[in-house]
Amino acid sequence: MVGGCGLTFVGCLCVAWEEQFELSGVLVSSSVAGTVSPTRQALRRVRRDRSARAGVVIVGLLILIAVAAPLLVKLSGQDAYTHHIDLLDPARGNAPQGAVGGESSDHWFGVEPLTGRDLFSIVVLGLRTSLFIAVVATTVTTVVGTLIGISAAYFGSWYDAAVSRLIDFLFGFPQLVFMIALGIIVPPGFPRWLLLILVLSAFGWATLARLIRNQSKSLVAREFVEAARSVGSSGWHVITRELLPNLLGPVLVVATLAIPGYITAEAALSFLGVGVPPPTPSLGRSISDSIAWVYTGADPWFLVFPGAALFLAVLGFTLLGDGVRDAFDVRMRRAG
Amino acid sequence: MPDLAWFVVRRLAAALLVMLALSFAVYLIFYALPADPAHLACGKPCTPDRLEQARHFMQLDQTTIQQYLNFLRGIFVGRTFGEGAAAVQCNAPCFGYSFPLARPVTMLILERLPITASIAIGAAVIWLLVGVSLGVVAALKRGKLLDRLAVGFALIGVASPSFLVGLLAILVFGFWLNMVPVNGYVPLTESPVDWAWHLITPWLVLALLYAAAYIRLTRAQMLEELNLDHVTTARSKGAGEARVVLRHGFRGALVPIVTLFGLDLGGLLGGAILTEKVFSMQGLGELLLSAVGQLDVAVVVGTTLFSAFLIILANLVVDIVHGMLDPRVSHG
Amino acid sequence: MADRPVLEVHDLHVTFRTENGLVPAVDDIDFAVAPGKTLAIVGESGSGKSVSAAAVMGLLPSNADVRGEVQLDGRELVGLPNDELRKIRGNDIALVFQDALSALNPYYTVGWQVAEAYRLHHDASKREAHQRAVQLLDLVGIPAAARRANSYPHEFSGGMRQRVVIAMALVNDPKVLIADEPTTALDVTVQAQIMRLLEDVQTEFGTALVLISHDLGVVAEAADDVVVMYAGRAAERGTVRDLFQRAAHPYSLGLLGAMPRVDVPPKPRLTTIPGSPPSPGSITTGCPFQPRCAYADRVGERCITERPELTPRPGEGDHEAACHLGRRPSGV
Repeated sequence: MVGGCGLTFVGCLCVAWEEQFELSGVLVSSSVAGTVSPTRQALRRVRRDRSARAGVVIVGLLILIAVAAPLLVKLSGQDAYTHHIDLLDPARGNAPQGAVGGESSDHWFGVEPLTGRDLFSIVVLGLRTSLFIAVVATTVTTVVGTLIGISAAYFGSWYDAAVSRLIDFLFGFPQLVFMIALGIIVPPGFPRWLLLILVLSAFGWATLARLIRNQSKSLVAREFVEAARSVGSSGWHVITRELLPNLLGPVLVVATLAIPGYITAEAALSFLGVGVPPPTPSLGRSISDSIAWVYTGADPWFLVFPGAALFLAVLGFTLLGDGVRDAFDVRMRRAG
Repeated sequence: MPDLAWFVVRRLAAALLVMLALSFAVYLIFYALPADPAHLACGKPCTPDRLEQARHFMQLDQTTIQQYLNFLRGIFVGRTFGEGAAAVQCNAPCFGYSFPLARPVTMLILERLPITASIAIGAAVIWLLVGVSLGVVAALKRGKLLDRLAVGFALIGVASPSFLVGLLAILVFGFWLNMVPVNGYVPLTESPVDWAWHLITPWLVLALLYAAAYIRLTRAQMLEELNLDHVTTARSKGAGEARVVLRHGFRGALVPIVTLFGLDLGGLLGGAILTEKVFSMQGLGELLLSAVGQLDVAVVVGTTLFSAFLIILANLVVDIVHGMLDPRVSHG
Repeated sequence: MADRPVLEVHDLHVTFRTENGLVPAVDDIDFAVAPGKTLAIVGESGSGKSVSAAAVMGLLPSNADVRGEVQLDGRELVGLPNDELRKIRGNDIALVFQDALSALNPYYTVGWQVAEAYRLHHDASKREAHQRAVQLLDLVGIPAAARRANSYPHEFSGGMRQRVVIAMALVNDPKVLIADEPTTALDVTVQAQIMRLLEDVQTEFGTALVLISHDLGVVAEAADDVVVMYAGRAAERGTVRDLFQRAAHPYSLGLLGAMPRVDVPPKPRLTTIPGSPPSPGSITTGCPFQPRCAYADRVGERCITERPELTPRPGEGDHEAACHLGRRPSGV
């Protein structure tokens, strides 16, 4: 559930989640021959779900744009850094000349006020940054969260207790506040994008870890793990062959649903001024810069293009995430 | 009921422990680090001499543990920074002193709190009422037009970053339609009408986005609850639909909704940072942002701890309410 | 059935409208029960027995079509508007569910839930209703009823919970009690207690009992008359003696054979009926049991083409079986 978390930050994705995922349907064990892979079932369902398909299309498009961003910029014949003062109208406080923010065949989204930089390049490169940070943060949190969650469930005792306490602790943190506050202590030389990824990941893994731990605990308690152990399978074997395949569903669902949260979080942080610094393009920062131009009504398009890009990104991934969740037939239940 | 009382006591104790651990962690992170807070109290030009003075003034020349203990003591009995004529008094509870702003942090927080609270609580009431009722209706009319609309609305709400919606709202309602003021805060005591009028846009923006989540949650919970056996039992006893849906169905869906609400509100009270920036309101969030820009460590630490405190408090309240609402947790 | 029956069901058909088409869950069922008597409806899961009970109570979802006659003391229930049905549900006919833990609402005390059943049909104050609830809880054998009325369902043991459910069903002195697998979730000693309780209630209040079960041991002890259902149709009808001493349908025989018995010499293996019950609606012509019937060959084509109707066994009064076999099938 991505809740009102577009507002705060990723951790809140599951802040009220004392819930666990439960896979309905067939449990997969490596030792059971001939079962229909849940992945295949899932793919089938995604193909049928209309909004999920829309999500896939949007996400595909956005990823394409993000990856090909430098190419697209070159194609447009512009770049994100050159100032085009000649395209500004000093009479209107240096807002872009012409309609739609100075849109033309040269500048497909018009130009930025005050600087005259090509808005298309800014949007496309900004999207690239956002997606990059979100995807990397998601990957890191997924890997870390899954490992910690599984190990906590499998090894139990004091390790599990310590991990659970740590997770509770992280949940009690005012994350956005903290992420902003950290801006004060980090030396200016430290690459901002890396800081963002680290900070987002530092809080994000807890959610998935808790979920995975709860789910693993119930799996571990089930007989087939016992059975595998009794046949002499090593811990590692049990983890990879017995637990992981059954956890694939929840993991994938949480990971896909986490991406829009991270995109929003990064945009929010940039909006507040603690994201990637200028002159690197950033959607959130552009939106923040657009405030004055929206207030005076002088150039609302400066908000519209980056805003639309951000909205589409979050919407696309949310639709995809919902689709993945429905596809794996994963239902959220209250724990306890 | 002794059961419930014990439950509350246990939870309270746990909350206190967490608070302590949190405050230590925060203190450690912010005071034992690279950037030197002493630069703040040091005037311009900052000679090594003056830096030394500043450091002593802020009691930064003591060990971290000592500093932390001073900090804790300050919370209970107050603190004095520096000596002699230049000494600065910080009365209990003292969460630090902001040198750039020349005020104790506690005062700053108290000044800003009503603003943040107005935003948060007002929006919370709206989103709770709207979100939950729409969610219930959507569940009851599942598959029909109303349900689809509600779910669609919820999806848009969930996918929209708040600051974006806020700016759009300002653009549309503030400028193009010129219906509402676009920024500024008017205290409740000054003029309730103006207070509400200035807040209506941030309220609706926040409520729109949070309500989306509540619609989704309520709808899902209701659908699940209405499928449960005890609902059929209620029907078999001869209860009417309204009673069945509310007393039996909704009652079960209540717990996760209340839990989420408590946590959302707690988090929001700690600083509706984005909303405050978009609507130019000087609440706690804005305080934090400017403090970061100014490298005002005391304020940053103070607000962070305050937010954390609110979240812990919210968790506590939510836990207790959970125990009250669900007898399986607190009884037997 | 000598006495005038209090509940009569004739030609009951229940069909579900689903995405996959029409699914007949109950196909032409008749049964009746007199005051103070017990009718057992026997069958495997999917045989339609629970659906029949739900149909009598009017508790089926909106996608269910019910045709036929259900008469309570002469009054026709099928087609009654929901308002009228509500007055009867829990009042004249009450349902006892299988799983007491999921049947009871976890959020309200046991006393509240029983009292609710009372207040739904009587104009009584909360206090009066509560007193009546305590009275009933005491009646069903819950020790310290007054105190335990304030406990929650999860604080009771399985057997005690089942008694609570029975109390809830009895609070309005119903004419008919329908018990859907009341003992399945309990262990054997508790089972006996619960069945004894039901028997006592019947003797004292003259309540008619419809006992739905797949447990033939319970049926043998408690029932006066039996209906055996298979794939939504009646396979056999008669007194309990008819069934156990002169079973006339191969399916009934199979059920009896599959039942472990202490009064006959042990066989090396339990006899099972090969195969599994058909999914509802998959058999459209002929006898639904035919694929698994050991006697089908002896009768031949007729079992596949012609649907057997309930026909009285020669010389055995009200004992009927739906089977083409002219004579009683010999034991296995």
